[in-house]
Amino acid sequence: MNNKLTGSVVVIGGGISGMLSALDLANSGYYVYLVEKGPSIGGVMAQLDKTFPTNDCAM
Amino acid sequence: MDVNLCVGCGACTEKCPGKFDDGYNADLKQRTAIYVEYPQAVPLKYAINPDVCLKLTKDKCGICEEVCPAKAIDYTQKEERITLNAGSIIFSPGFKPFDPSRFDNYQYANFPNVVTSMEFERILSATGPTMGHVTTFPKLPLNPKKKQDKLLAEKRKDPKKIAWFQCVGSRDINKCDNAYCSSVCCMYAIKEAMIAKEHAGGNLDCSIFFMDMRTPGKEFEKYYENAKKKHGIKFIRSRVHSVTENSETHDLNIRYVDEKGQIINDTFDMIVLSVGLEITQETKEFAQKLGIELTPSGFCKTSSFEPVTSSRDGIYVSGVFNKPKDIPESVLDASAAASAAGDALSAARNTLTKAVEKIPEINVVGDRPKIGVFICDCGSNIKGVVDCAGVTEYAKTLPYVEFADEAMYACSQDAQNKMVEYIKEKNLNRIVVAACTPKTHEPLFQETLTNAGLNKYLFEMTNIRNHNSWVHKSNPEIATQKAKDLVRMAVAKAALAEPLKEEKINVNDTVMVIGGGLAGMTSAKSLALQGYKTHLIEKKDKLGGEAHKLYKTSQGEDVQTHLNELIKEIESNANITVHCNTTLENVDGFVGNFKSTLKTDTTSFALEYGVAVLATGAKALVPTEYEYGNDDRIITSLDLDKMFKENDAKLDQLNSAVFIQCVGSRQPDRPYCSRVCCTHSVDNAIELKKRKPGIDVFILYRDIRTYGERELLYKKARELGVIFIRYDREQKPEVVLDKGKLLVKLNDHVLNQPVEIEADLLTLATALVPRKDEKLANFFKVPLNDEGFFVEKHAKLGPAEFATSGVFVCGSGHYPKPVNEAITQGRAAASRALTLLAKKDNLFTSGTIANVDSMKCSQCGVCVAICPYSAPRFATEGRFAGKAEINAVLCKGCGLCVASCRSGALHLRGFDTHQIFSQIFALGEAV
Amino acid sequence: MNDKDIKIVSFLCNWCSYGAADLAGVSRMEYPADIRVIRIPCSGRMSPKFVLSAFREGADAVWVSG
Repeated sequence: MNNKLTGSVVVIGGGISGMLSALDLANSGYYVYLVEKGPSIGGVMAQLDKTFPTNDCAM
Repeated sequence: MDVNLCVGCGACTEKCPGKFDDGYNADLKQRTAIYVEYPQAVPLKYAINPDVCLKLTKDKCGICEEVCPAKAIDYTQKEERITLNAGSIIFSPGFKPFDPSRFDNYQYANFPNVVTSMEFERILSATGPTMGHVTTFPKLPLNPKKKQDKLLAEKRKDPKKIAWFQCVGSRDINKCDNAYCSSVCCMYAIKEAMIAKEHAGGNLDCSIFFMDMRTPGKEFEKYYENAKKKHGIKFIRSRVHSVTENSETHDLNIRYVDEKGQIINDTFDMIVLSVGLEITQETKEFAQKLGIELTPSGFCKTSSFEPVTSSRDGIYVSGVFNKPKDIPESVLDASAAASAAGDALSAARNTLTKAVEKIPEINVVGDRPKIGVFICDCGSNIKGVVDCAGVTEYAKTLPYVEFADEAMYACSQDAQNKMVEYIKEKNLNRIVVAACTPKTHEPLFQETLTNAGLNKYLFEMTNIRNHNSWVHKSNPEIATQKAKDLVRMAVAKAALAEPLKEEKINVNDTVMVIGGGLAGMTSAKSLALQGYKTHLIEKKDKLGGEAHKLYKTSQGEDVQTHLNELIKEIESNANITVHCNTTLENVDGFVGNFKSTLKTDTTSFALEYGVAVLATGAKALVPTEYEYGNDDRIITSLDLDKMFKENDAKLDQLNSAVFIQCVGSRQPDRPYCSRVCCTHSVDNAIELKKRKPGIDVFILYRDIRTYGERELLYKKARELGVIFIRYDREQKPEVVLDKGKLLVKLNDHVLNQPVEIEADLLTLATALVPRKDEKLANFFKVPLNDEGFFVEKHAKLGPAEFATSGVFVCGSGHYPKPVNEAITQGRAAASRALTLLAKKDNLFTSGTIANVDSMKCSQCGVCVAICPYSAPRFATEGRFAGKAEINAVLCKGCGLCVASCRSGALHLRGFDTHQIFSQIFALGEAV
Repeated sequence: MNDKDIKIVSFLCNWCSYGAADLAGVSRMEYPADIRVIRIPCSGRMSPKFVLSAFREGADAVWVSG
């Protein structure tokens, strides 16, 4: 069974969670397809002005 | 659009006649049919909305094709189907903010000054429709064209009073079907109120109407307390029934019942609806296609022990789709899902990846400096105070400056691409960026230099935001002058920058995990599965930690069964060596090359390892109040779990049980919420009711914080007849032992009179306290916060690692957390560690380290004696035997040896003496 | 000395005080703009020569923090 394993992962959704899953996997030795419905990645976090509790810029 | 041709110039949008709502700005604005999501979007490629494009709908127009300089427009593109082969899938589709237009009582659809929190977020943003200016009638364009809109716009004003309504679309099964708590709205409402006051000035009156204030995350409780005390934000415990509007002024009138039962009328300029997080129908349908099970609320069903694994083999989930959560938890989910997906494919790791192409470095040694200066506006963060155009013009006049430019966001992908172009086009060989702090952004710009073929140390960053525009905002002229000074200093230093070399570090790929609780074991198991030798260090005589004391998870799973299975797996894994009864005596070395002495009762041994995971956990507080210890009917939550586990016969004789919440939490000496206790008590109350339906159960609480789908337990407890009575910290319940009776007295807020409960069992929901292991923290040079929890690298984006390279964190030592969250973080720490271990062959030292000019060295030995990292030593052979030399891997680049060298033989690359002098001299040159 | 013309040269350690100055910005604290920061990798990098040099260049005060 093991010789049939494919060393790639499809990540569906390019929000903060999907992006970071993709980065971790790519940096660990897996090929990643990051699939996003919209024309750009970033998700809802890119729409936020600041983040709590540090009030850092979300962008 | 051909994305390979599009250069992102934006010429196409200038004359595009098609318009539709700009979703990025929460539909407060319109955008053209050919568009880019937002100016910093990645990838920066334009797209056409086929529903509103005149060419695609009516075959008219075609302007964008005419004006596109890159010939990227292609109207004939059709939907394509692509088949991908993959070993695992991670599904993280996210959420949609709840749409409140279906509620008639708040009149969101009809009153212009009732807005959603997402709309308000955009109003606060410098890139939003009002450029950060808080104003009424936010849905109107800034320069309205229609007559009707113009009339309304005349009534536009800066609001004096804003109200936030919590739980809109959450914790509500009357007007919608969302019984769960969305987990983030309390905190974002506080944040929006704080930022609104910052933008609009301190006199803005902000009120938050809430049911329970839920701030159970790390540093959240202090944020809430600050909002009340420092920022003067009002918190009103009431659910407002409805809103009416003054048709003339469009002010909003509300009527609500306060805690004392009085009806109050009030008027606000604006009302922000704190909308919850909702899974879309589209996502639910897609999940069905994928064949994964959902909870009744539409979130993905996962177990507490495999918290990112869906019901279908090979499909993992993360983010809000896997229960409502905020950013750091989504980030932990992301790494955990990567770890789970990777574990399943460990045998096929490195089979499909390719090495990154290295861009050859241009040799600039000996060339005259040609400096490029980039001034960042940071939206309005800098430009709102500093005259950035003036600073850019000024930069052009400085010595060696070849080129200067201003960027809206220098860190955005488009600005970075431009920077690369400018470097190549103008042969720049030194770069200065005046923007935010190098502590977060220096690596990003350095990568840009690398991409342009420049050595990354030919870079200097100066901070005109954190150190300037943000702290001198009431003094724009002086701030502009200061920005000029800072740019001049940076340019002077950059002119002296030299390309620096980084040395390769050898990585020992053995892992040490400290703490054998759930989080530590999870980390160890994942890293061992990926093929790394892992040592699991446990202070006690057995693995399992505090989880041994738990009865069930909030989803009703038996903890002991799963815990024992996990312990067995750990003990039988050939890659894991378990060291019980073992303590850590010291830590030497650095990322990739740590060395420790470990001690047991009988022996001590050395261990060499490359990365460390700290999973030291927390423990339950031993209470010192409420007569604890004076009567065996007064117990803690964990004692009650023990009774359940042992099926204690005493439980069946109870007629009345009382729980007191926040015992030791949320008070001045421990100003944090312990996160797990509300759910734990509610769950145990349900268990008591199930065992004996006739029992009276009371939960005395301050706010019930059953976040996420834990809210369903709270609902169930109320349905089963558990009685919840709220108390204030200033008026805690009183426990009295009187003639064999156990009495609990408190003031009931609803009845506004004292209540006395006779209890057969009193359970104290005690705080979780960290181990505050200062010795361990010092060993690894990692920080602890005031309460003794470990401080992670970044509160949002680095929740499972430390700023110290090669050291990771998980479990309740980071912050109190329930079983599923501890396991998620355990996996996340493993995933982060794996990314480092995978770099085994290309990990490098910093370039900014000390070096010796051997000709000048007088062999005095001060540097050898003074260095805390033992980096300098006397060379033992070669031409310069006896002179000092520096071990590049050990050198931290602090410069202590450089400052202490009496011969001037030591230099610190990147911060050399003449470079620092150049900054001082540049400062002396008054403009 | 005129209050308006004070010039303070500060040498801040990258790991603590420089970060603290960043945080002061994040917290939107306001303070007088008379200070010019030179980032150093550690207060151990500091040399008396830098202090003397700053005074010679007209600094009214030198602040080393780390």
